[in-house]
Amino acid sequence: MGPLLYGLDVIVYIGIFGIVSLSLNLEFGFAGLANFGKVAFFLVGAYTYALLSQIGVPFYLCLIAGGLISAIFGLVVSLPALRLRADYLAIAVLAFGEILRLIVKSEYWLARGDWGIRVLPVFPWAGSHLAYRLENIGLVYFCLCICFLVVQLLANSPYGRAMRAIREDEVAAEALGKNRSKFKAQALMLGSAMAGVAGGLYAQYLQYVLPDVFMPMVTFTVWIMVLLGGPANNWGVLLGAALVEIFDRGTNIIKDYITLPVDPTNLQYILFGALIIFVLLYRPQGLLKESTIKTKALRSIFNGRSSAKNKRS
Amino acid sequence: MEEALLRISEVSKHFGGVYAVNGVSLDINHGGICGLVGPNGSGKTTLFNIILGLHQPDRGDIYFKEKRINNLAPHQIYELGIVNAFQIPRLFFNLSVLDNMLVAARGQQGDRLLNSLFLRKRWQEQEKGLIDEAMGILEVVELSHLAFSPAAELSGGQRRLLEVARGIMAKPTLLLLDEPAAGINPELANKIFQKLEEFSRNGIAFFIVEHRLEILFDFATWVYVMDKGRIVIAGHPRTIIDDPTFYSVYLGEG
Repeated sequence: MGPLLYGLDVIVYIGIFGIVSLSLNLEFGFAGLANFGKVAFFLVGAYTYALLSQIGVPFYLCLIAGGLISAIFGLVVSLPALRLRADYLAIAVLAFGEILRLIVKSEYWLARGDWGIRVLPVFPWAGSHLAYRLENIGLVYFCLCICFLVVQLLANSPYGRAMRAIREDEVAAEALGKNRSKFKAQALMLGSAMAGVAGGLYAQYLQYVLPDVFMPMVTFTVWIMVLLGGPANNWGVLLGAALVEIFDRGTNIIKDYITLPVDPTNLQYILFGALIIFVLLYRPQGLLKESTIKTKALRSIFNGRSSAKNKRS
Repeated sequence: MEEALLRISEVSKHFGGVYAVNGVSLDINHGGICGLVGPNGSGKTTLFNIILGLHQPDRGDIYFKEKRINNLAPHQIYELGIVNAFQIPRLFFNLSVLDNMLVAARGQQGDRLLNSLFLRKRWQEQEKGLIDEAMGILEVVELSHLAFSPAAELSGGQRRLLEVARGIMAKPTLLLLDEPAAGINPELANKIFQKLEEFSRNGIAFFIVEHRLEILFDFATWVYVMDKGRIVIAGHPRTIIDDPTFYSVYLGEG
């Protein structure tokens, strides 16, 4: 029973972080925004969920509220940040994440600071650990499917094309009629909303929120997922999320069974760092390369062409 | 008298102490090919950037169809129908040649967030038409066989062609071209200008910076000569060729 429960636990985590990495893919992979404050929006979603569920709001409303409030935070951050160049944007949102974490940590009235708050389970009737995990898998993967569908539809539309154009050369895109501030603000809002929903799911699954869960390391983990899997490829980032979670959880188990001369947690960070360097050096496009834009019309003429070519040869 | 399509009135712009554009006034009429020539550093590109909203002029006004456009953002100027092809091609290198073309289409239904998700039928119909147009233009500039290749794989000359083609894709009222014929073989350059002339008969006005005067003067209907930030001569290419000032501007003080 142990290994099965652990495996299901990993599957829940893959789902939750799959959503977060999809949201970062929308922002970074497609729109080129270096959001190094992903954890901030994850935190907003988680705390919104926790606080609302405490006063008896039904869980689906908590999730939606988490997404909406997170989107508002995304918009607020985007207003000054979009005037900044990409690298300064990264620093600004990174700081924003830490500020939020320190606020919930030190403002006791808000969410009991370091003590954190309990979150009531959505499925109180879930008798066993097994049922509890299965129900969470259902909920998380339902949300994941919606997020995947949204990002996938956007990526393969004129809107996604404009976003990619802004990523490639924002001045040229602006000169070609794309309002880059609008596109960037929308990408940040939508990405934050998705991260907020994922935060809510996370709070619900853990049944507890603590400030220390939302360290900057969460952001970097999500970045590894996206860079490893392949930016601008939605299947790729899901693959990245799965691999990183399996690695993360797997090493968590292994470290209980082997003795190491160094602190295993630090070793995990070192391995993550090495992994990023390795990916960026040898496979900068990630495991799966950028997916091309496939609208219905494009696909039909592309297929027409390749079949014509086949006939000729 | 017919109103000018674009009217530039007493526009100046300086960088530090140097006037890049110094009190320039000119008119561009509907249709036709208008040339802008002058030695390097005479302020041609700066003037273009001012028209496009990339630079704010220090003084002076710009009117497009009688409407003052000084304070509009570049994307708003684009939506009015003033389109630009950059001197050094600024393509979206990881996107396909065809996608580069499609980005440029004006008035797209599907480049709004909610439309792209919920009004898919509407923009998919529109996109079919846009793809046909784009392929037609790519055919003309001999890039259609590369439609699905990333723009990064194009050669230098092909990149220029795509940059021009992208401008035409926008169906502009006024298309600014910064040296469209540079780095392209003479035969193809001639062909491009023939195509431009054809497009100009369909109502696109061109404002073209070009150093290859032998080609430009064959096609231009009006030419402005710029030197040190000022317009020094204006007229039909035939009269300009006979103007002694023209030679002193181009060949240095004679």
